[in-house]
Amino acid sequence: MTKTIAPDAEVLIDAREVSKRYPNGTQALTKVSLQVRRGEVVCIVGPSGSGKSTLLRTINAMESISSGEVTMDGISVHHPKTNLNEVRTHAGMVFQQFNLFPHKTALENVMLAPMQVLKMPVEEARERAGKLLEKVGLAEKAQSRPSQLSGGQQQRVAIARALAMQPRVMLFDEPTSALDPEKVGEVLEVMKQLALEGMTMVVVTHEMGFARAVANRVVFMDGGELVYQDAPEAFFSNAQHERLRSFLGQVLPH
Amino acid sequence: MRPANPAWRLLTVALVLLIGAGLYWATIKVNYQWRWDRVPEYLLITGGEDVLSPVDGTVAVQGKQITLTPLLGGEPQTFPEIDVVQVSDGEIVFANNTLGKKSGVTPGPLLVGLWVTLQISAWSLVFALILGLIAGLGRVSANPAARDMAAIYVELIRGTPLLVQMFIVYFFLGTVLNLSGFVAGVAALSVFTGAYVAEIIRSGIEGVAKGQMEAARSLGMSHWQAMRHIVLPQAFRRSLPPLAGQSINLIKDSSLVSIMALTDLTKAGREIVASTFSPFEVWFTVALMYLLLTGLLSIYVRKLEKKMAHD
Ligand SMILES: Nc1ncnc2c1ncn2[C@@H]1O[C@H](COP(=O)(O)OP(=O)(O)OP(=O)(O)O)[C@@H](O)[C@H]1O
Ligand SMILES: [Mg+2]
Repeated sequence: MTKTIAPDAEVLIDAREVSKRYPNGTQALTKVSLQVRRGEVVCIVGPSGSGKSTLLRTINAMESISSGEVTMDGISVHHPKTNLNEVRTHAGMVFQQFNLFPHKTALENVMLAPMQVLKMPVEEARERAGKLLEKVGLAEKAQSRPSQLSGGQQQRVAIARALAMQPRVMLFDEPTSALDPEKVGEVLEVMKQLALEGMTMVVVTHEMGFARAVANRVVFMDGGELVYQDAPEAFFSNAQHERLRSFLGQVLPH
Repeated sequence: MRPANPAWRLLTVALVLLIGAGLYWATIKVNYQWRWDRVPEYLLITGGEDVLSPVDGTVAVQGKQITLTPLLGGEPQTFPEIDVVQVSDGEIVFANNTLGKKSGVTPGPLLVGLWVTLQISAWSLVFALILGLIAGLGRVSANPAARDMAAIYVELIRGTPLLVQMFIVYFFLGTVLNLSGFVAGVAALSVFTGAYVAEIIRSGIEGVAKGQMEAARSLGMSHWQAMRHIVLPQAFRRSLPPLAGQSINLIKDSSLVSIMALTDLTKAGREIVASTFSPFEVWFTVALMYLLLTGLLSIYVRKLEKKMAHD
């Protein structure tokens, strides 16, 4: 099931020795280094508070860093001269709480950024948005407001909204954690489809089944450090690493 | 909620009647003469309006039109559509003599005052919303100077009485800048109400979920684009009820402009009371007219809220 990527695929995201200390003194990341190749799907797992969201959010500069460097396509994301708005158009982000715009329809949610940021004409934006809603299986919900959609449907609209900017990488922060269990599958299915189409993805998740089936690589974080990373088979059968073993012991069914 | 026992309604009616009777009894004790029949003419003048001669002159009458040639020379003046002509052709009249009457209905002083109050309130509301939006955005701005300026404005205005602000604007700024009473009134009311609008807008913005701004920024929108398209529309929706309350306060606060040379509804009431002996009837009528304005406004806003809740 896992797609393979060319071993010589270029590095798209390169985080080197990234540390992050929040203003209140919390050390959320300590010298984390992570490389993501074009077309790769990387899943990040780890206990609550281990810094997974923080790491993800430093990639598109939603969070500043204290030291280290993150580059995307060779551009230093946190360099003072970097145009953040432009960098962010290349990284689509999907949130745990969906964060759809409640005063706009599903279609308008998807159309807004291409029109405002890329200055795309209305007709073109509408056509692109319609296609993306179709892709996530929600063509018939185009005119619905977020409040009229289930959690699973909202998250799929949110994915379409991020895709509308034609990003080079998609960042997912626990996209299914806020969903009723029976809605998780439909969102994971869309993500899997995206992975198979070759989208580069970084996914913070508690869905070990998804990580095992779709990821090229799984990363384990604990206490603000990147502790261990490996291909899924090796990752989930690893018995050597003490902290990883105890984490997997807690989250995997026995 | 369970439907309340209708007996409580009866008690309400009984209490209101009792208070009304008490007031009436109190006025009888001071020998007050109720003259409600005088009130309609303060609202509408139906008896017709006298047309007076502005200067001494000779009149020429042609049907309903009177032409007045001043005795001291100058351009003849014409007065068209005089319904009841009270001079004859060739007659000499003196300044302030009655030439005739125009029939029909003209607004009385209270209605004219109501119109002034409406105009002042409407203009002030427009400027207060603009000022309040700017100051509200300043309050949540990332720029410390903008934040401080907005905070100083809000605290200064909310910490001093409106009446004192009115005096300052009218007697100080008004004299220095040579403002008319109307402009001074609108200025004072806008600046005052704007401070409250700013706080309403600020709390509306802060009430919009943080994830909204994040989602917008993550799509590459600038801070301002996210504000304009995502945060402000939602903040405005949340702010509508308190803004409606503030607009109603504005209408009531506008009665303070009567300290300026400006005949609003309150000033009109005062002028009538000064020349008649019917203070109770006039003030009750004035109060009712304010109530009508504020009542209509709250009905309209309730409708607007319902409409916004639907879409
Ligand atoms: N805005 C913030 N200010 C201060 N501390 C923060 C902030 N956001 C997160 N933290 C702290 O940083 C650490 C890492 O948080 P982070 O949200 O990255 O963890 P996480 O792995 O995503 O956890 P979860 O699985 O619960 O989402 C935690 O100790 C958290 O309390
Ligand atoms: Mg998190």
